[in-house]
Amino acid sequence: MAGGLSPAAALPTEVRTRAARSRSPAVWLLLGPPSLVLTLLFMLPIGLVLVTSITDPRMSLAHYQRIFTVPLYTHVMLNTFVTSLVVTALCLVLGYPVAYVMARRSDWVSTLLLTIVAMSFWTGFLVRTYAWLVILGSKGPVTGAYQALGLGPAPQLLFTSFASTLGMTHILLPYMILALFAVMKKIEPDQLKAAASLGARPRAAFAAVFLPLSLPGVVNGSLLVFVSCLGFFVTPILLGTPRDMMISQLINQQIEELLAWGFASAVAVILLIATGLILVVYNRFAGLDRLWG
Amino acid sequence: MRRRAFLNGFAATVTAAAAGPLIVTDRTIAQTRTMFVNTWGGSWTAAEEAAFFKPFTEATGIRVRTVAPVSYAKLKAQVQSGSYEWDVTAITQADLLRADREGLVEPIDWSIVKKDKLFPNAVYANGLAYCALGTNLAYRKDKFPQGGPKTWADFWDVKKFPGNRSMLNNAVRTAQFALVADGVSPDKVFPIDVDRAFKKLDQIKPHIKVWWTQGNQSQQLLRDGEVDMMVMWNARASELQQQGLPVELVWHGATITTTMWGIAKGAPNRKLAWEFLQFAVQPKPQADFANRLYYGPTNPEAFKFVSPEIARQLPTYVENAKVAIKPDTVWEAEHTARIQERFTQWLAA
Repeated sequence: MAGGLSPAAALPTEVRTRAARSRSPAVWLLLGPPSLVLTLLFMLPIGLVLVTSITDPRMSLAHYQRIFTVPLYTHVMLNTFVTSLVVTALCLVLGYPVAYVMARRSDWVSTLLLTIVAMSFWTGFLVRTYAWLVILGSKGPVTGAYQALGLGPAPQLLFTSFASTLGMTHILLPYMILALFAVMKKIEPDQLKAAASLGARPRAAFAAVFLPLSLPGVVNGSLLVFVSCLGFFVTPILLGTPRDMMISQLINQQIEELLAWGFASAVAVILLIATGLILVVYNRFAGLDRLWG
Repeated sequence: MRRRAFLNGFAATVTAAAAGPLIVTDRTIAQTRTMFVNTWGGSWTAAEEAAFFKPFTEATGIRVRTVAPVSYAKLKAQVQSGSYEWDVTAITQADLLRADREGLVEPIDWSIVKKDKLFPNAVYANGLAYCALGTNLAYRKDKFPQGGPKTWADFWDVKKFPGNRSMLNNAVRTAQFALVADGVSPDKVFPIDVDRAFKKLDQIKPHIKVWWTQGNQSQQLLRDGEVDMMVMWNARASELQQQGLPVELVWHGATITTTMWGIAKGAPNRKLAWEFLQFAVQPKPQADFANRLYYGPTNPEAFKFVSPEIARQLPTYVENAKVAIKPDTVWEAEHTARIQERFTQWLAA
């Protein structure tokens, strides 16, 4: 670092940029404000939540003990994780073919699909939740079609685990599709042609070439959907049953109705730790810097 | 020139930045005379606007701004952090009592509030009684041509009154209704026999299609015909009637709870706020509010300004109040957390 006058061009690119990075005060100026904002508005409040969870109303770990001993809370946590897994799997199964078509075609079909996905993405999730209330309701098109086909009285769709899972899948599906699309778009079509020229049938070419190359998208999309789903709140309340209670509903109830801030903080800390663990595992196997393609 | 212009601009920015905090604290000085009210939004705030805020501003020049929805958590956060978004809040009586016990409520300033201008029982837990809210059994008349349910026992009777049902996701209210359905007289519900209530609730649980949490959600359920009978707030049901829906309200065994006005401890505009509360609990403004939104005036004098047609639909109307449950606020404040946990667990099982 001391040889400031040594011919920079002689150094390999990586070393050169690293040296420039540590030397330039501009880097610190650029890093300063975001670090400050993150510390003040993110790290500090989270630290406060952590402190509240062991000090409110008095210094103890009783809240954590309660979370893991009262069946209700273990049930809610388990349900949150199972629901998130199911929603993630559904998004993957539904989203993969759509993203595949979007990435492989470059004509109007791709544009049309992208427009539809983006519009769905931009529509408020409350609006989409209320739309399901209408669609699945007892006067909605599903019930109407059921009766028109003479299948007798329609089963109850609304206010079931089915409805809440469907609603959450619908809301999170665009995230999955866009994450998959970003990776799939970068897969060279020539690689599939090369596979074909070596005798691979389309199915084999997909399984041996396209699928492995698209895996980063699968991991990214799944992580994005899973973590977002952990914090879901309004949709399960409006479409589901009390049996489908998610962790964030529990936190809200404790804060707003029962004023149990200490307990709510402990639940939030557990949620945070769980999310953090998932990110750590992800980082081990995929690398966090690849999250955005 | 350009350099000077830049410097001037820069100076102006710095001055504005430095004066920023002053401008913010300025609102605490009576000079600008604006106070902030935490309220429920929607038709509730619209009725407040017409009955309280506009006349108050006309009479005093003090402006009123609103923040929605009501949040107990925010009351606590404001007092703990010393940074206030609002001064006054509408709040349920049990919550106000809990807040007052936690030291979150500003004590009444008797130099501004005149005792002789208040009605009996206006003061509770350092707040003033705002209005009374009914939580009733409501049903679709068109679904029961032979006559609908008249009591909670009828609501529990799924053979005689078949149909989809919905209840409020609130432990204490639900337990009260269960006890009345089990034969307890509405005036003997408190203290609640929790075990007995849950035993009775076990019977109705499979027949409850949805446990609602939000007022507009409850209206949507009855309007769209998702359910035929349900627990509902009285003014929400009256709104559906006004929209032409065949909805009937039952007063027997309904719960009448009091909503209170309270001021956040240490709120910057508390002096203006007390002036406002003194104004808001007078007969005329209370009647104006009840004429728009059918929650009952707490000031008995207010009924002079309410038409008999509307008065009959209010929770504090004598005939209605007589057959309703009047909750024991102290008991509620002490037991809600424990019952709510059991209730949530019961719902999730």
